[in-house]
Amino acid sequence: MDRAASTLVLGLGNELAGDDAVGLLVARTLRDELADRAEVVESSASGLALIEVFADVDRAVVIDAIKTGRSPPGTISEMTVAHVGRVLAPSLHHAGLPELAAVAERLGLRFPSQTRVFAVEVEDPYTLGAGLSESVARSVAEVAARVRDVIDGWEAENLEVEVEVTTCTTSTSPRRSSIT
Amino acid sequence: MSSEIVIDPITRLEGHGRIHIFMNDSGDVDRAYLQIPELRGFEKFAQGRRAEDMPQITSRICGVCPMAHHMAGTKTLDDLYRVDPPPAAKKVREMVYDAFMVEDHALHFFFLGGPDFVVGPAAPKAERNILGVIGKVGLEIGKEVIAARKELRGLIEEAAGKVIHPVFGLPGGISKPISPELRDRFVAGSAHAVEFGKLALQIFRDVVLSNAEYVDLVTSEAYTHRTYYLGLVDELNRVNFYEGRLRIVDPNGNEFLTFDAKEYLDHVTEHVEPWSYLKFSYLKDVGWNGFTDGPDSGVFAVAPLARLNASDAMSTPIAQEAFEELYSTLGGKPVHHTLANHWARIVELINAAERMAELAADPEILDPNVRTVPTETPREGIGVVEAPRGTLLHHYTTDEQGLIETANLIVATQNNAARIALSVDKAARELIHGANVDDGLLNQVEMAFRAYDPCFGCATHSLPGQMPLIVQIHDPEGDLVRELRRD
Repeated sequence: MDRAASTLVLGLGNELAGDDAVGLLVARTLRDELADRAEVVESSASGLALIEVFADVDRAVVIDAIKTGRSPPGTISEMTVAHVGRVLAPSLHHAGLPELAAVAERLGLRFPSQTRVFAVEVEDPYTLGAGLSESVARSVAEVAARVRDVIDGWEAENLEVEVEVTTCTTSTSPRRSSIT
Repeated sequence: MSSEIVIDPITRLEGHGRIHIFMNDSGDVDRAYLQIPELRGFEKFAQGRRAEDMPQITSRICGVCPMAHHMAGTKTLDDLYRVDPPPAAKKVREMVYDAFMVEDHALHFFFLGGPDFVVGPAAPKAERNILGVIGKVGLEIGKEVIAARKELRGLIEEAAGKVIHPVFGLPGGISKPISPELRDRFVAGSAHAVEFGKLALQIFRDVVLSNAEYVDLVTSEAYTHRTYYLGLVDELNRVNFYEGRLRIVDPNGNEFLTFDAKEYLDHVTEHVEPWSYLKFSYLKDVGWNGFTDGPDSGVFAVAPLARLNASDAMSTPIAQEAFEELYSTLGGKPVHHTLANHWARIVELINAAERMAELAADPEILDPNVRTVPTETPREGIGVVEAPRGTLLHHYTTDEQGLIETANLIVATQNNAARIALSVDKAARELIHGANVDDGLLNQVEMAFRAYDPCFGCATHSLPGQMPLIVQIHDPEGDLVRELRRD
């Protein structure tokens, strides 16, 4: 896939640590299905170590565990980059998206122009080998569906743009810009 | 009024914990300590699994230093199966490990520790981050850091399968030899890494050493403890990250003990405190004498400065010059100033880059014989490497089929835990007077342990990550009187 015009689906978490695996499992659920439409990545890295993962993609969906203690386990929050910096407990892994975006901008690196974050409230991200708790496990299919919706939406937007570009270029030039 | 200040969790660290600072009635610090959450169940989780899966499993415990766990696990399997890898396998392992050391040290110096020094401890908190570092050192150097790490991670991935979860260490060797093309990339990558190391050292000189205020801070009593130091050394008592003997020097810099990794548990044991899940390693031969320093306290340190203190020299020329500059500037060996860890980290970064270059240029690195197949019945294995954050030990016992019966990991932050506790307590006592503590002072308390680059991720088998900071002040009755949040 041409990375310069791509969609990234990034699941974050620790596969061994109970509920903390939720982001990875959502990504895994979508891996085959989205193979032609997005680059699906599972990562246990955190902070600025992730900057290379985001470099040169157009749009990104991030799925991560969150533990605020204020919502029931399994609750799904949907955020943009701007929101991430404002929530109280942004992430167990602190993807630090606003900071990453700022660094990328300062260094002139390409960073996704559109980013959506799905954070799943977790119960126990501390027990190795525990697997997902029941309520968090139940949320996996729903998060996956919402990630799919986001990507469908982005592709529909692009299709519109592409149609416009096509309409525009057919009258002026035989070349057509490819957006996706 | 006596009160408690809690810094929770600690910013910019890989992992999360909280600092409690208890104030006394006269407004001074009574005592201060770090408290860390626990990731439970590792031993149980490991039981019954195949020993040869441990390098992969342990590398998944934490996203911060997976290669260190992978390599410690692999070396433990060598010992478990009583198998000696062919020379090329050892050299490839060490070369890949050195690449990891360079990129990890670069990450810490610029992104995690850099804000304290490059930007400055008293700078407004909005600037004390990687953006502030880039602002200070310039865009080009910022790009250089990103590019250098990207190249090194590419090399590790090519050689080891994956950066985050390497799959190349096997008992008795590695899974595939190095191709001439990849060797050439390591030659080029190591040359870039050496230049990058020299650049980092120059930045340190320009920004930190030329600033008398910073040098005073580094050498101040608040950040000084006269403890023992532990590190892996080669046959000439030079720093080595991949293999060697373990050497301990006393607070005067004299050799106290040198021993094989297998004897580790004869010399190092654990102290437990009710307020921490983390166990505190100390030297058995000296004994536990509380959170104190000096020759009668078994408290010791690991990590970059400890490794330099525990060695007589560096194994490569540019790193050796940097090593000499550090000790001549700071008054000779050993250096007891915790904040000098940042400088030592750059000396090590250069050493790892130069060592990587030496190994890449060694014709034997291309030898296709990279595996000695184990034939012995497994029973018990111990393996040690120097992780970026200090000495890391894996210890497994198995049944005759090689299924894990017990698995214990002694991680760098656990080895450093007593000295870190000492550092937090001392910095808080020296720096904080009165409950009306400002952000800059709290940051200087955090700096006391940030210099160790502690990774609470695996120290408590907890999670990688960074979180916002919460400060809570409690009165003598334990009631919350003030709360500060730093997001």
